[in-house]
This record gives sequence, C-alpha cells and structure tokens, in this order.
Amino acid sequence: MDINWSVKFEGFWNRLTVKGGYKDVILGLKNTGIIAVGGLIIGIVIGTLIAVIKVIPKTNKFLSFLDKLADLYVGFFRGTPMMVQLLLGYYVLLPMLGINTDAVVASLIIFGLNSGAYVSEIMRSGILSVDPGQMEAGRALGMSYGSTMFKIIVPQAIKNILPTIGNEFISLVKETSIVSFVGAVDLYKAFRSIANANYEFMVPYLAMAVIYIVIVLIITVLVKFMEKRLRASDKR
Amino acid sequence: MISVKNIFKNFGDLQVLKGVSCEIEKGEKIVIIGPSGSGKSTFLRCMNLLENPTYGEVWVDDDLVTPVDPYLHFDVIEASNTFKKIYEAAKTASPNTPDDELRHGIIMEIKQKDLLKKHEGKEYHALMKKIYEDNKLDINLARQRIGMVFQQFNLFNNLTILDNITLAPMKLKKMPKAEAEEKAYKLLDRIGLRDKADSYPQQLSGGQKQRIAIVRALAMDPEIMLFDEPTSALDPEMVGEVLDVMKELADSGMTMVVVTHEMGFAREVATRVLFMDEGKILEEAPPQEFFANPKSKRTQEFLSKVL
Repeated sequence: MDINWSVKFEGFWNRLTVKGGYKDVILGLKNTGIIAVGGLIIGIVIGTLIAVIKVIPKTNKFLSFLDKLADLYVGFFRGTPMMVQLLLGYYVLLPMLGINTDAVVASLIIFGLNSGAYVSEIMRSGILSVDPGQMEAGRALGMSYGSTMFKIIVPQAIKNILPTIGNEFISLVKETSIVSFVGAVDLYKAFRSIANANYEFMVPYLAMAVIYIVIVLIITVLVKFMEKRLRASDKR
Repeated sequence: MISVKNIFKNFGDLQVLKGVSCEIEKGEKIVIIGPSGSGKSTFLRCMNLLENPTYGEVWVDDDLVTPVDPYLHFDVIEASNTFKKIYEAAKTASPNTPDDELRHGIIMEIKQKDLLKKHEGKEYHALMKKIYEDNKLDINLARQRIGMVFQQFNLFNNLTILDNITLAPMKLKKMPKAEAEEKAYKLLDRIGLRDKADSYPQQLSGGQKQRIAIVRALAMDPEIMLFDEPTSALDPEMVGEVLDVMKELADSGMTMVVVTHEMGFAREVATRVLFMDEGKILEEAPPQEFFANPKSKRTQEFLSKVL
C-alpha cells in the first residue's frame, strides 16, 4: 500500500500547532499525570492500611470484622473492570450522594480506590517478606505493634516492593486512557479530536502511542533511581 | 524482678515447656543451658511475652503481665463450681476428715486433673477478674524495663545505627532528640563503635551488630537484660568481643538472664546456672557446684559432651 506519510504528518502537525491541538494534548497530559500520581498516592495509603489489617493477628472481633470488610473491598475492586467502577462512581454513586464534582477529581478518587485494592496485595507480600525478627525487636523494646509496623516494617516492605509499585504506576498511567468515558480530557481524547478534524487517524494515534511509551520510559528510569536511593542502606 | 510461675507452652500438639518456674532477683546473673530443643529459648521468650505461655503466670516485680492462671490461686479454685461439687460430695462421704485437709486434697486433685472448665460460676469469674485488675501491667510498659538481645541481632535494617539506638527512648520515653543522641554516643563509646553511628546495620560485622544490639537495649535503661543465644550466630573470632561487653555489663550490676552454649561464660559470670531438658528445669545451682558435681544423670551426660 502506498501511504504518503509526509502529507499525513503535515496535516497532523498543522492541527497540533497552528490550529491549537497542542492545548488539549497538554491538558490531557496534565490530567493523566494528576490522575495517575494522585491515584497511586491514595492507593498506597489505602493499600498499606488494608495490608496491615490483613497481616495483624486477629485478637478481637473488631479486627476480624475489619478483615472481612477489607476482603469485600479488594474483592469488588479487583473483580470489576476499572471502566465499570468509573462509570458506576461517576454516573451512579455521585448523583445518588448529590455530589457534583469535576470528572478529573472523580476519576482520581476511583483510580485511588482501585489502586488501593491492588497495592494492598503487593504491600502484604512486602510486609511478609520482612524478617519477623524486626517486629520482635520492636516489640521487645516496648513499642506497640502499630508503631513497629509503620516505623520499621512498612519502610522495609516498600523498599522490597518498589519495582512492583512502579509496575502499578505504569498501569495506572495507561489506564487513564479510559477517563474520557466520563468526559475528562485525556491523551486519547486530545488525539482523537485531531484525528477527527483531519479524517486521518494513522499519525495522531502513532503519536499518542509514542507519548505513552516515553512517559513509561521516564517512570521506569525514575523508579530505578529511587530503588538505588532506597537501597543505600544495603550497601556494604 | 521477674517471676515465672509454672509455665507451660504448647505449639499445637508439641509441648515445649512443661511446668517451669523461676524467681529472678535483682542483680542475679542467670545462665540457662541445655541441649537444643530443650525449651530454653522459649522459656526466655516467655519472660517478656514474645511467646505467650499456654498456662502459668509471669510477674514483673509485683505486676502480672499474663492472664490469671486459676490453678495458681487456691482461692480461685475454691470459688469454682467444680470445687463446691466435689467438696460437698466428699464432706458427706467422710464427715470426719479435718476440713483443711479435705480442701487441700480437693484443690490438688483439681490442679492435677485440670478439672476447671469455662462455666465455673460468678464468684469464680469475679475473683479471676479482681486478681487481674488489681495486678495487671501493660506488656509494652513491662517490656520497656526488660531489655532483650537476639541470636540474629535484629537491628532495624532501615535505620542508621544512631537511629536504631535513639528510636525507642525518643518514642517511648519522650526523650528529646539531642539528649537521646548524646546518650547513644556515650553508649557507642563504651563499646568503641562511635564511628559507626551513621552506618547501616548491613555495613557491620556480626560482632559489631550484636554489640550495638546490646547497646540499643541499654538505651532504654532496662532493669534486666535477656540474652537469647547472643553468640550462636557469630564467627568464632567475634564471640570474644560480644562476651566482653556482656561481662562488663554483668560487672556493672545488671540483672541478666542468658541462654547460651558458652560454658566459660557461665562459669565466670553466672550466679546461678539452670539446666533445662525436655521442657523442664532439671537442675539449678551456683556454677562452681553445678560444674563440679552435677546431680542428675542427664546433666552429667550433657556436661561430659560439651566440656
């Protein structure tokens, strides 16, 4: 097949620059960043709490209840596609609660809740990978289970699971391509409008793919760098 | 200082401790020896409740840190329905037996046959609760007074040496950072490792780690120190430096309980040696006597192998 790439590219470039398509791309990038980073932060906080609930010895009924609740939460958020959660959250739950909020904020919260379910399992395996002697040493000094957990165990767990958390972040970044379902501007929406305007889809979607790859490569490098920093305490 | 009363510990079907009691007085240096699997580490770990005893009580000074064990309190047994039932039956059967003798006999029978069950009546439960409420001490508070050193050191890997030492005093005793650090440096000077303050545990040798683990426990100003085979995970050439720190600590008057295989240390430092085998204390004596003429056959056999 004969494809005239230079013509296609010129049309795309014209739309992107002179006709102002770049504004949407930048907005999309910004939203992707906000939703992925914010979602990961919420996810790590929720995930850590759930992981601790899962590993804590169940000495009373309240803890067993929390444990069941955590199972339910993880079960729901891992058991349904994120798109379904997003639609349910934005079009069902928010109107029911009478909350009127920005699509980006709503997406951010849903991404955080979803990520929390996945991070909880990652964090749990991280906590279990830390030598039980660390907990014993903390307890023997008189520290409570909770403060030993958050001061000693979780920091070591995070170090162990950092590569997997990096993975989770990457998949969050890529999943942001579904937020256009609730009307938020993301990269997909930005490039689709350029494509629609020109009736030419090849170059815009290729460009979109390249942007995603570049973002992911940057994250990969950042995670490696952080890993190195955190492993400073392992140096001999 | 610590009294352990008739401790039993089961891990599932495995009975590791079978009725161990021990009173540790202030200033004593107790060395616990015995073959591996004899329950000596479990016994030590029961003293600060890293293991919860299945039966029995642990007291720290005048405070109870475990739940109440009804079999250790005659008044509790007497308040139980089981006791009342047996007592009435026995009273009608032999009305001429002196009451004291009868009561004592029944208490012993209940203890030996483990007859107390869950439903023992209001009076019984009220008494149990009263003993507990009157004497209980939060284990975290008790542990602040009981230092512990582990076989595997267990220094906090995510913290520098300085932070390892200052964490507990700052968090639990609300000691200001500057004061805690000054204290940490003093302790590090004592073991000659001041220059390691900013290192991480993985950068140190086993001997250094263990000396710092001792110092970390000392930073809480404990009244007693428990050592769980502190030299067993060390290269032979590093055993000496750790034992030296322990000896110095003993000379300073610290109350110590040491589980170890170092017979030389036991001979030199101990005020009392306990020999454990199969979950029981078989023999207990001052070191001179213990090593010179051990009484039980099992002790003689063990000593002939290790000395």
